[in-house]
Amino acid sequence: MADLSVTICGKTLKNPVITASGTFGFGREFDEIYDISCLGGVATKGIALVPWAGNPVPRIAESRGVILNAVGLQNPGVEKFIADDLAWLRQKTRVIANVVGRTIEDYEGVCARLNGLVDFLELNISCPNVKCGGMAFGIRPETIEEVTARAKAKCPDTPLIVKLSPNVESIAVNAQAAARGGADCLSLVNTFTGMAIDIERRRPVLANNTGGVSGAGIKPIAVRMVYEAAHAVSIPVIGMGGITCAEDAVEFLMAGAAAVQVGTQNFTDTRACPKIIAGLNEWCDRHNVASVASLTDTLQLN
Amino acid sequence: MREITATVLENKRIADEVYSLTFAADDEIAVRPGQFVMIGVGGYPLRRPIAVCKSEGERITVCYRLKGDGTRSLARDYKMGEKLSVLLPLGNGFYVKDTEKKVALVGGGVGIFPLISVIRAYSKSKELYAYMGFRNRAAFCMEYDLAQTKKIAVATDDGSLGFHGTAVQAFMREYDEVRPDVVLSCGPVPMLRALKEAMKGRNVPVYVSLEERMGCGIGACLVCVCEKTNGAHARVCKDGPVFEIGDVVL
Repeated sequence: MADLSVTICGKTLKNPVITASGTFGFGREFDEIYDISCLGGVATKGIALVPWAGNPVPRIAESRGVILNAVGLQNPGVEKFIADDLAWLRQKTRVIANVVGRTIEDYEGVCARLNGLVDFLELNISCPNVKCGGMAFGIRPETIEEVTARAKAKCPDTPLIVKLSPNVESIAVNAQAAARGGADCLSLVNTFTGMAIDIERRRPVLANNTGGVSGAGIKPIAVRMVYEAAHAVSIPVIGMGGITCAEDAVEFLMAGAAAVQVGTQNFTDTRACPKIIAGLNEWCDRHNVASVASLTDTLQLN
Repeated sequence: MREITATVLENKRIADEVYSLTFAADDEIAVRPGQFVMIGVGGYPLRRPIAVCKSEGERITVCYRLKGDGTRSLARDYKMGEKLSVLLPLGNGFYVKDTEKKVALVGGGVGIFPLISVIRAYSKSKELYAYMGFRNRAAFCMEYDLAQTKKIAVATDDGSLGFHGTAVQAFMREYDEVRPDVVLSCGPVPMLRALKEAMKGRNVPVYVSLEERMGCGIGACLVCVCEKTNGAHARVCKDGPVFEIGDVVL
């Protein structure tokens, strides 16, 4: 039995497997299938200052090895999250509250409200599916630094993770911008902007026309970006993008991630995360790795 | 609600482009009429949501139309003995109150299959009147189960079998004669819209089962929402798929 625990920003997670925002709600539905206290953490559905309605349907499409989503960050707002789900989720596992906004003030408001109430805040400046806010803040290094700095000023007691978009010129430059802004940790990648077309109707499948591409097919690009980001900054990095099994998670750890998030695979296999956790233990045992944390950043380039 | 590895017992074509898949769960599973399952098809990231047509102990039958690559793979690659990953039972399903004796069922296309589960649950305790629309004679199926109702009217778009027209038209022709206590429906959105219009002002509850592209199937991802008339969004997979027709925007 390997030691699966990892420590990020001084907080210990029982294992490095976190569910990715938007695929897992606030955990209650999956908890009907398995006890989610086995998870390293849950990154919640994006939380705004007030409820958001999200985009029209269809909000999801499929392509080979990937899916596209354009949910548009429908969420019940921060107060309802605090009232209905926070206490329950906290007694289950580490809570990473994903924060969304249309303005910098929105981000500041949610961070201020959740400061000290959750284990981590994850600043979502990388959603490709909303018109204002979202990815608009996450493309240029100057805005990344500004929104990070202003959000961090509102959550001095809670580590701030900045979730980066892959739809950018240089992931390393943007990672450094977030670090300069005061991010305590980075997470990447959010989804790649894509389009799927229904050729019978000559229309995009998604009502939003474009959506975020995720799933197994994006993994090699995500691994490369996690590697580049992790080697550009000294703060910890949480890696994600197409993880379907323990071996995929090991790739991200070796590339430099301190922990991983699993998203789309929760749809394919409802029990994906517990399987990945068990698989990590087996992999470590098979390879005489005493601690999963020791895998981080052990890649040797050719 | 649980995730199981089921064993395929039968997977056969029952009408033009329509297959019936029966699988055995690991254990007895209580499924209410109108509930659905999410079936994992190898190599596809998203499970396919399909309404339950019949359930008996650990044996469950779903029927599906060949629509895209996933359903075609399901029809081709999952023969008797193959294993299937299934999430079930999902959604709220249809309820018929004790006071509701006469139940009208209005179905179109693959929308007839969840209504078959209603027939199987209530054919002994209720008076069932079924109005089922098919594209044409080649699409017709479920003859035995439909015959378990008090009255069955088949409608086809091209008139090749039964009434020439839609299920809603067939239903409304007989409406005054039947006077149902409740109407349960599933089918294409234009059909549901026509039903909503036709039932306006009649003061009879109408419940519709909706279809939407789904992500998780259990209410977490907020992909499969429908718009409610009060402006809110409801999750088709978890809050539905059955809604009172007046509560949803069609």
